[in-house]
Amino acid sequence: MSKILIDLAALFAGVVLAFIIQDALPPMSDFHSAHVLLVPMVFCLAAVVLPFPAMLIGAFYTGFLSDLMYMHVVGGKVEIPLGMSIVFFVILGSIANGFQPAMKSRNVLPFVVLSGVGTSGYLLVQFLTITLQRGGFIWDEAVLWRILAPGLIAALIAPLFYWTLSQIDRLIPDGSRKLRSITR
Amino acid sequence: MNKLNIALVVAILAVAIYFSTISPSAMQAMQSGFMSMLSPFLRTGSAMQENLGSVGRRLQTLDELEVENKKILVENRELRAQNNLLNELETENSRLRMALDFRERSSFKLMPARIISRDASTWWNTLRINRGFEDGVEADMPVVTELGVVGKTTTVSKNEAIVVLVTDETCRIGCKIDGTREQGIISGLRIQEKAAEGLLQMNFLSKNAKIEPGQQVLTAGVAHGAFPPGLVIGRVKEFRPRALDGQAVVEPAVQLDSIEDVFVLIGKK
Repeated sequence: MSKILIDLAALFAGVVLAFIIQDALPPMSDFHSAHVLLVPMVFCLAAVVLPFPAMLIGAFYTGFLSDLMYMHVVGGKVEIPLGMSIVFFVILGSIANGFQPAMKSRNVLPFVVLSGVGTSGYLLVQFLTITLQRGGFIWDEAVLWRILAPGLIAALIAPLFYWTLSQIDRLIPDGSRKLRSITR
Repeated sequence: MNKLNIALVVAILAVAIYFSTISPSAMQAMQSGFMSMLSPFLRTGSAMQENLGSVGRRLQTLDELEVENKKILVENRELRAQNNLLNELETENSRLRMALDFRERSSFKLMPARIISRDASTWWNTLRINRGFEDGVEADMPVVTELGVVGKTTTVSKNEAIVVLVTDETCRIGCKIDGTREQGIISGLRIQEKAAEGLLQMNFLSKNAKIEPGQQVLTAGVAHGAFPPGLVIGRVKEFRPRALDGQAVVEPAVQLDSIEDVFVLIGKK
């Protein structure tokens, strides 16, 4: 039980840290003002490590904070309602959780792919919700880049993120490392 | 998947659906609380970004001079903005005196604010300022510089506020074209190539309106609106007559990507 709690606490802290970092990073002008998103990647790693019920708690936490962080209310109208990201992260987490055996055999490819697809998918869902709210479908190169570029960057960062966490994990004394749920 | 997992998924989805039915004001209150909690960390991140970006500049100038310069710049901008407002008041006062119709005009206090972060999200053009409800800032208050309108406040926390920029599609302002009787509603475009430098669209104009490029667009100050009349929004770049109405493409007066300080128009003096 304590190993699950340690992983959940790491996810809770990691998500907040990811919010702070991605908020401080400026948009990439070369990619049509696309933003770097780290939260879906952090969640994906937790989702392939944690057992299903703990993953659901993580999905709820990540989704709730994501909605609060980027909620847009103008003139008493909410564009993306609170709760939408929770549903998204529950679906993404359920898919990612199925790749746990691959992760246990040190295959990081599913995590890398899910980080990219999850990040772009999250932005696509946001874009479609806004389109539904405002009416009139607009699709151009800028929209495409703003959805694809963060996903590509997340997929590129994901192996480095996994490697960094593995290195940090090695620094932890063996006794506590045995508590971790992932085989590294 | 066992029954417990299915029950957990259903419970979480039920909570998510319940959240989506909460009123916008309650959602905003939750966001405000969250912003207040996260504010010190976000400010640290933004300050680090700013410090890293200005390393070269700091090597060339003394810290004291920089601080003093910033202070004078803010003061100068505040005075210029106040002067613009006073000019507008004077013009209106003269017009009203001529019409022998005196009516009270609300004047606003300028609250200087510093931008602490910008463009935090992909789909909305927003920025965050270092003033919150402790400073008297409320939702839907105009945010300006000495050059014109920047946007309006949305969610306000204890020491911070989110400002939706005039270049965002959801920031709609009643406006008029200076020197004409033409009035319309101005908003940003959904996708701005470079959000801060984006153009604005002014809709619901007469299709036969005589509008020339370069004409100034000012806030109309409609009843129950957030903006007082006479604030500069931008200049007409192009006028397009359409089947039922006319649309003007407007260049914003404020360079939104380079501003560092703004003013919030709060309440009556």
